[in-house]
Amino acid sequence: MSVLHFEYKMEIKYEEYVGRCYFTIKCIPKEDARQHLRGLKLSVLPEVAYSWGKDSFGNRQIYGCETEPHNQFVFQAVGDVEIIQTDYEEEAGDETTGIFRVPHGKCVPGPGLSEYYKSQDFSRCKSHYEICMALMHSLHQDFSYVPGATQVNTTAEEAWGMGRGVCQDYAHIYITLLRMAGIPARYVCGLIIGEGASHAWAEALCGNRWIAFDPTNDCLVLDHYIKLGHGRDAADCAINRGLMWNGGAQSQTISVLVEKCE
Amino acid sequence: MQQLELLKHTDKINELLARYGVKFGIYKNNIFKEQLFPFDSIPRIIEHKEFSHLEKGLKQRVMALNLFLKDIYSKKQIVKDGIVPEDFIFASSGYMAECEGTVPPKGIYSHISGIDLVKGKDDNWYILEDNLRVPSGASYPMIARDLCRRSSPDTFHNYRLEDNRNYADLLRRAMDYVNPGGHTVILTPGRYNAAYFEHSYLAEKTGAHLATGSELIVENDTLYYISSDGTREKVGAVYRRISDEYLDPMNFNPESLIGIPHIYEVFRKGNVALINAPGNGVADDKGIYYFVPKMIRYYLDEEPILCNAPTYLPFYEEDMKYVLSHFDELVLKDVAEAGGYGVVFGNSMTKQQKQDFIDLLQREPRRFIAQEVIDFQDLDILEQGEIVPRKADLRAFVLMAEEPMVWKSGLTRFSRNTDSFIVNSSQGGGFKDTWVLYQ
Repeated sequence: MSVLHFEYKMEIKYEEYVGRCYFTIKCIPKEDARQHLRGLKLSVLPEVAYSWGKDSFGNRQIYGCETEPHNQFVFQAVGDVEIIQTDYEEEAGDETTGIFRVPHGKCVPGPGLSEYYKSQDFSRCKSHYEICMALMHSLHQDFSYVPGATQVNTTAEEAWGMGRGVCQDYAHIYITLLRMAGIPARYVCGLIIGEGASHAWAEALCGNRWIAFDPTNDCLVLDHYIKLGHGRDAADCAINRGLMWNGGAQSQTISVLVEKCE
Repeated sequence: MQQLELLKHTDKINELLARYGVKFGIYKNNIFKEQLFPFDSIPRIIEHKEFSHLEKGLKQRVMALNLFLKDIYSKKQIVKDGIVPEDFIFASSGYMAECEGTVPPKGIYSHISGIDLVKGKDDNWYILEDNLRVPSGASYPMIARDLCRRSSPDTFHNYRLEDNRNYADLLRRAMDYVNPGGHTVILTPGRYNAAYFEHSYLAEKTGAHLATGSELIVENDTLYYISSDGTREKVGAVYRRISDEYLDPMNFNPESLIGIPHIYEVFRKGNVALINAPGNGVADDKGIYYFVPKMIRYYLDEEPILCNAPTYLPFYEEDMKYVLSHFDELVLKDVAEAGGYGVVFGNSMTKQQKQDFIDLLQREPRRFIAQEVIDFQDLDILEQGEIVPRKADLRAFVLMAEEPMVWKSGLTRFSRNTDSFIVNSSQGGGFKDTWVLYQ
């Protein structure tokens, strides 16, 4: 068990004043069998009333509408997360998992990924878990971590074609491949120990357990990861979704800090 | 029938319909064209006994479809029990993951269902398709009946027929039943929408506010209507005449300009009823159609009263074999298309087309259904003073409140083309009033 302190800050600056802005933010750590959240502090600037809710995947969200003209929007969440168990995410419940098995959104295989999938040899894998491991190792070898090569909207197939990308691309490609193998897989958005940005990985259904794999780092997800939310692809658990009137060009800065509490 | 005094007024009624703005917008080759919806004054007449049978069958079907939707967006017991394969749910374009886990007020998904039927030459009625998203068309027979009564009151003295002008009452009941408190609004994309006449007509007849997205706003998990003087009124029910993906740019298509940001969150919290509920497309998918009789048996433990057109799913190997060996006798439908598009008759293809189609079918078996061509009864229509037979269908409307209510009328559409089986108004067909006789 470990306790992680986290700080998530998002700052958006607009060139011109925004007259009205709707926002939905999903950056509150999940409360589940794996992790427990305590001492959460939220702040939104300019100050505005917001509502709490859950999306259809159970991810917590806060949402609202800023109606005062503003040229910057700052959102911050600070708290501690107790990581209770490390070896698996959660027991699969009674729900059908098919929704995480069919191709969807950014995770639809094209010719490139289909061919790559066919080149894989699972003959020695005795379980879904072993297939997940084998695919993770292959992908880690055959894809390069290069920030800036891809965009938020890049699909798994496009990223694979470029041969490089960031954690979102690793997760998208990995999920696409797992689903081709018939293994239900979820995209996970979260935070990892250190300083920087948010992270992404995948959970795969092995037997009746969701096991979390980090294809970017070629390892299992252990007690230095904080899970924020999951979905079919990155769009389902996007940390920030906004809709604004006017504002012109905008620049967004995200800073994340996660450290172990003694 | 041909002697009906009413028939003399056909032109006059069409003129009035045009004046009232009864028009239908169609897209052809990407060009939007507004055209009149031609009215034929020879009514389709359904005897009391025959309609009672339809009524029972329609209620049963809509009950089962509602239970199916509730199940699919929660426990999915019908999938777990192996009645409907998982692929047909999650790969359906109408399935919306965003709707998982949210139960609409009173558990009703399809408040207004438009069920399309045809009457075969064997005198049996067959269900052609279920429309559970935003089925339109009820306003046309409503206003036509009104104009007919005014033009030829005598005709209506001589027939003992059900008054169909109560549609607005049924609709109001369905809307009020699920309204958790607040005003009722009909949400329209605006006056350039194909069915704008219907939106405004139903608003007027039900006493609901007619609003566009910009007149509705979400605040503190509550939906408000902003009236012309700027005051805010809480809204409890929205009969939305825009499709799911445009409803809420913060949850669905972010490009939508006609929706209301965060309205879906208000719905999630149970503070507003959306009529019909989002996500219904998973139940009126052409692939799911095949399973409706099974749903009736599964959820209601009853035998279906109305039958489907005999349908084959190439997804099943056995059905694929049948389809390939009886190709020329079947009509093939692309499950993703609507409005009469994506429908091909096996016997109308050239050898090459047929081969290409079969290749496609074998590559994407989930994408198509195949049906026996139903030889359906012609109805008489008046074309330039002459009575001629034409293919016609019937869209019946079922409204859901405490229990399902079937509107004792319906939209009868006919093909103006002699040899066409396709009666959709989006393909230039006309319509008739539907008379249901009472005992």
